[in-house]
Amino acid sequence: MEYGLKPLGREKFWLWALLAPTLIGLLFGALGSVIATVVLSFAKWDLLTPPTWAGIVNYVNLFNDDKLLLSLTNTIKFTALYVPGVVIISLFVAVLMNRKIRGVSLFRTAYFLPAVTSAVATALVWNMIYGRDTGILNFILERFGLQPICWLCTENAMYAVVIVNIWGAIGEGMIIFLAGLTAIPREYYEAAEMDGANGFHQFFRITLPLVTPSLFFQTLISTINAFQAYDYIYMLTRRGQGDSSVPVVVFSIYRNAWNFFNYGGASAQAIELTVIVAILMAFYFWLERRYVVYE
Amino acid sequence: MKYRLLVLAVILSLLLTACGGTAASQKADITMMMWGDPAELEVWNKIVEDFHTANPNITVKVDVSDWDSYWTKLKTLLSAGTPPDVFAMDAPLYLDYQSRGVLLNLQPYLGKNPDMLNGVYPQTLEAYKTPDGMFGLPRDFQTVALFYNKDMFDAAGVDYPTADWTYDDLRNAAKQLTKDSDGDGKIDQFGFYSDLWDMELIWSEGIWAYGGDIINDDHTKTLIGEPKARDAWQLFHDMMFEDKSWPDSNTAGEYGGDPFLAGVAAMTTIGHWVVPGYAEVTFKWDVAPMPKGPAGQATSVNSAGFVVAKDSKSPDAAFEFLQYVLSEPAQKRLAELGFACPVLKSVAESDAFLKQSTPIDHKVFLDSLAFAHMKPVFKGYDEWSSAIGDGMATIWTGEAELDPTLDEAVKAADEVLANNQ
Repeated sequence: MEYGLKPLGREKFWLWALLAPTLIGLLFGALGSVIATVVLSFAKWDLLTPPTWAGIVNYVNLFNDDKLLLSLTNTIKFTALYVPGVVIISLFVAVLMNRKIRGVSLFRTAYFLPAVTSAVATALVWNMIYGRDTGILNFILERFGLQPICWLCTENAMYAVVIVNIWGAIGEGMIIFLAGLTAIPREYYEAAEMDGANGFHQFFRITLPLVTPSLFFQTLISTINAFQAYDYIYMLTRRGQGDSSVPVVVFSIYRNAWNFFNYGGASAQAIELTVIVAILMAFYFWLERRYVVYE
Repeated sequence: MKYRLLVLAVILSLLLTACGGTAASQKADITMMMWGDPAELEVWNKIVEDFHTANPNITVKVDVSDWDSYWTKLKTLLSAGTPPDVFAMDAPLYLDYQSRGVLLNLQPYLGKNPDMLNGVYPQTLEAYKTPDGMFGLPRDFQTVALFYNKDMFDAAGVDYPTADWTYDDLRNAAKQLTKDSDGDGKIDQFGFYSDLWDMELIWSEGIWAYGGDIINDDHTKTLIGEPKARDAWQLFHDMMFEDKSWPDSNTAGEYGGDPFLAGVAAMTTIGHWVVPGYAEVTFKWDVAPMPKGPAGQATSVNSAGFVVAKDSKSPDAAFEFLQYVLSEPAQKRLAELGFACPVLKSVAESDAFLKQSTPIDHKVFLDSLAFAHMKPVFKGYDEWSSAIGDGMATIWTGEAELDPTLDEAVKAADEVLANNQ
């Protein structure tokens, strides 16, 4: 990763001066809460009475809390479906949008819209799409003589929420890939065309290798997002008072902290989530050194 | 000289503390936090205005949030040591706060105003009593009744529910009111619907009417899996999956979670809080008392109330406000709002409540107190109720068997109780 210009002398001063506000904010805001979470994960705390030392009880509970294990399984399943989905589809959309076609900015805006729309509002719309007896999707299926599907029933809910989350993330992925695609010099394609390479070859021999930095970045961001995904999932799968038919780890953390007076346990779950993401990130960076091509 | 300065300082500080002491009862700013929607905020603002007129020395700042954010915000403020002076409390959650020592004991104040609670329905005070005294007071209450769609009953030629109805009558009527009018194999009109996640809407009432109970007296054992309670569960299950007169939770979800409001279910059981919302529907409806079971008639009574933070800097002013909430003018305003039943008998039994704009038999909700059981109040309620609600959810989607799933849920609920002793 040896590229770019190195700051020199006076520039160094301004570099730090301009970074200072953000760094101080991160230090006291983010780092402070991270440390607090680590400390609280060793405590029994209900938010109302002073915390008491709990040793590793909260960590032991991570392994024998059935609800949490279910949430963890759901989060991992979700990530396994969501990350490839977002990366592949948004790359595909970006390639389509990277051409001189009429109204391309309209299409680009349309794909990006979910990213700037309230998750609660879009989830309500998706609820109408997914409804078993009254939903639009089943209406279409029945028109084609197919059996209606109970999209949000427990057995299908995971796929239904993955679809909505992917749909919501395509826009941002597309922007990342468009940036990567426009950086590829046109000469490569012209040369390839002269040598008789077809579109298929051009994509796999030129586009894909040269877009690996964006591919790496997008995979990384999508993974982090997948582990933090919560709003669409909760809005589409909630039932009863604050329950969800597809509980994920973030949901479990929220519920333990705010509904069950178990802030210590919630902190330990947050640490667990962070450790899992950190291990995945380490693996990604190892992959990056081997496969990502920087010009 | 030094000595005189010291004396002066002592006198000054004494004066200052004395001032501080009396200032609390003379001039005070308090904050009042509650959950609610814009309509409720409007009424509470009026109540506070009236209170300001009656108590010009006290200023109340009202802070309203929606239900979910309310509890998060409240807990954050309490843990930061800056709680609102007065805040709203849902009776079942009361002990979760009281047992953690964040509420002010109101007993000394109640001792000084012995007649204050005379006009209040005693059933609504029960939830706030602890061995150490009362740490909260109710503001309004809810009993659950049977709501029915008159148009659907008329069309099907079924007699309206009466006070003598049994659960068998309910089941039979529900069967007669269930229809597939366009003959496509899908039911278009259900006889009955009620939500089975929380106990308040149907299952606690059913269990009590069949002679069962929810939890033992010292809150160590969940009783909803005992044989008599099981009879009630079996009835709900059979109505849903044998008669198909009660839509399962997936189907209900498609009608916005309330098929009665959507006009596809002929009956439902719910509290008075839906009345302003139901007033908007196009069909005619009314209410009847809950049906009778083998062990008699039963409904549940639950209340919302106010508590004072233990760390309040103006506890006297805060109590003054609580006292005002229980006064006739304030209770009248609450009755006009139409969501809940006033806890003050004289207002509940007056035209302010009985002759509200929605022309239904509001008296049913008051008469129901005669056979009402208190919605249980104990520490760990939220987690316990989730263990049961979540645990049994798959039964009501039609994915799981009743008996083994109920056993599992009871086991999980008992574990929660053990952790909250």
